Amino acid sequence: MLQSYLPALVFLVLGGAIGGAFTLLNGVLGPRRPNPVKNEPYECGLPSEVKRSFRFGISFYLIAMLFILFDIEVIFLYPIAVQLKAFGVFALVETLVFIFLLLVAFVFVWRRGALEWK
Amino acid sequence: MILPLADVPAPHIDYKGLSPLIALVGGTVLVLMAALLRGRFVQRSLLPLLTLGTLGAAMGLSIWVWSPGDHRPIVESALEVDALALSLSLVFYVAGIATVLLAHRSAALSDAGAGEYYTLLLSSVTGMVLLAEAANLITLFVGIELLSIPLYVLCASQVRRRASLEAGLKYLVIGSVGSATLLYGLALIYGAAGTTSFAGIDRALGDTVSLSDPLLLTGIALACAGLAFKASVAPFHQWTPDVYQGAPTPVTAFMAVATKAAAFAIFLRLFDSALLSAQFQWAPALAALATITIVVGNVGAIAQDSLKRMLAWSGVAQAGYILAGVVVGTQKGLEATVFYLLVYLLMNVAAFAVVIARERVSEWGDGMRALEGLGRAAPWLAWPMTIAMLALAGFPATAGFIGKFYLIDAAVDGDYAWLGVVIVAGSMISLVYYLRVVAVMWMGPMEVRLPSLPGRPRTAKPVGGWSPEADAWAQPEVTLVAVACAAATMFFGIWPNPLFDLVADVGTSLASLVG
Repeated sequence: MLQSYLPALVFLVLGGAIGGAFTLLNGVLGPRRPNPVKNEPYECGLPSEVKRSFRFGISFYLIAMLFILFDIEVIFLYPIAVQLKAFGVFALVETLVFIFLLLVAFVFVWRRGALEWK
Repeated sequence: MILPLADVPAPHIDYKGLSPLIALVGGTVLVLMAALLRGRFVQRSLLPLLTLGTLGAAMGLSIWVWSPGDHRPIVESALEVDALALSLSLVFYVAGIATVLLAHRSAALSDAGAGEYYTLLLSSVTGMVLLAEAANLITLFVGIELLSIPLYVLCASQVRRRASLEAGLKYLVIGSVGSATLLYGLALIYGAAGTTSFAGIDRALGDTVSLSDPLLLTGIALACAGLAFKASVAPFHQWTPDVYQGAPTPVTAFMAVATKAAAFAIFLRLFDSALLSAQFQWAPALAALATITIVVGNVGAIAQDSLKRMLAWSGVAQAGYILAGVVVGTQKGLEATVFYLLVYLLMNVAAFAVVIARERVSEWGDGMRALEGLGRAAPWLAWPMTIAMLALAGFPATAGFIGKFYLIDAAVDGDYAWLGVVIVAGSMISLVYYLRVVAVMWMGPMEVRLPSLPGRPRTAKPVGGWSPEADAWAQPEVTLVAVACAAATMFFGIWPNPLFDLVADVGTSLASLVG
C-alpha cells in the first residue's frame, strides 16, 4: 500500500534537489555587486520603510478584492467551456444561471459605487 | 491535448422538491436588487416585506412538498428531502421571520443598509436549508459556509458599535477555525470511506472500512469538534457569550435558534445516519461532551448580569441537553432532538424579543436591571419572559417540560440513563438563573412617588429607564413576536399532540434508525 506513495517521494526528492541545485549554483557562480537599494527587501514596488502612520486607501483593498472574486469565478467557466459537448445542455443552462448570479452581484457592486475610486 | 469525456449525464433534479430553495435564492436576488432603489418606502417597508414574502413562500412550498414518510433525493446524490429536513427548515423560516420583525427598528439596519442586512439573512437561511437537506459531505460543507459567512457579517452589522465589530471579528476567527477543523475531518472520513455520500459511507462502514481504522476515527473526532464549534458545545463554546452579547440582538436571537438547529441537523445526519455503525466509537465521546456542556453552561450562566450573556450560557447548556438525543442514536433520540429544537425556537425567541424591547428603551441596556418591575409596568412583556424562562427551565405545562421529558426518556431508553440524570441535575442548577429573571420582574420594588404638580399625584413605574417608549405597544412587532412565541410555548405544553405527530413523521426519515 505504501508503494503507491513512491511517486510522491520521488517528487519531493526531485523538487528538493532541483531547487537546492539552483540556489547553490546561484550562490557560487552569480556576480555580487551590492548597493543599498538592492539590499532592501523587495515588497511589491512600495517603499519598504513603512511608517507607523502609513495608511492604505481602503479603495485599494475593495477593488483588489472584487477583482479577485470575479477573476476566480470566471475561472470556473473554463472547464465547462472546454467540455461543453460532453456535459450537454444541462451544463450550459447551469452556467447561464451562474453567470446571471454573477451579473446580479456585479450590478449591485457597480450601483453601490464600489467601483469608484474615492 | 484535451481528453474528450464520455457523455456526462445531467443529474436527476426534482424541481418540486427544490422549489423552496429556488424561492429563497430568487428572493435573495430580488431583495439585493431592490436594495439599490433609494427612497424611504423601499428601504423601510418594501425590503422587509419582500424578505417576509420570500420566507413565507419558502415555508409554504416546504409544506406543499411535504408528504409524510417520504424520503427522496431532489438533486441526485447531493440533496435529499425528508421530514427531518423539512421540519428543521420550518425552524429556520420561523426564526428568519422573527428576526425580520425584531430587527425592524434596529440600529443595525440603518448602519449596514437594510438591503444588505436582509440579503445576508436570507443567504444564511438558504445555507441552513441546504445543510438540513445535505446528502453528501460536499453539500454539507457548502451549506455550513453559506450559513456562516453571512452571519459573520451580520454580527458586525452595527458598524458604529465597537462591541458589534468585536463580535463579528471574533466569530469570524473562531468560526473559521471550526470550519477548517470540520473540513479536515470530512476529508479524512472521505479518505477512509472512499465516498462522500452519506449513504455510501454508511454502507462502507463495517464492510470495506474497519471501524477501528485510525483515519476514520481521527476524521470523526475532527468533524465532531468542528460541529461542536458551530453548536457551541463545551469546550468549544468560549466564543458564545462574547459574540452573543456583542452582536445586534435580533442577530443573536437568530443565531441562538437557527444556527443551533442547523448544527444539530447535521449532527443528526452525519452521526445518526452516515456514521451510525461506528456508534460504539463516537457515542461515549459525545456523551462526555454533552455532560461537560451541561455543567459548564449552567454554572457559567449563574453569575451573569447581562441577559444576553445569560441566554448565551443557557444556550450552551441547552446544546448539551439536545446532544443527548444525538448520542443515543435511536429513532426516539431523533424524535426528541427535533422536538426540542422546535420548542427551543419558541421559548428562546420569546426571551430575546423581550430583551430587545427592553434594551432599546432602558438605560440598563441588556442588564438584569432593565427588567426591574416589568411585571407591573408592562405585563405584555413580562408574561412572555416569565413563560420563556419557566419553559427553558423545564417547568410543567410549558413545552420545555415535554421537550426535556422526551430527551430524558430517549436517553434512558438508549442505555444512557446516567445522561438523563445529568440533564435533570443541570435543569436544577439552571433554576438559579432562570428564576432570578422572574424574581427581578415580579418582585421588584413598589411604585415610587415623584414630586409633582399640586393636585395631580404622579407615580412612576419603577422600571429602569421608564419612558413613554417603554410601553409594551410602542414596538408592536417586538411585543407581537414575544406574545406569539410565549403563547405557542404554553399551547404546545398543554396540547403537544401536533408536535408529536410531526416528530413521529420525522422519526422515520433516517433509514438507518428505522427497524
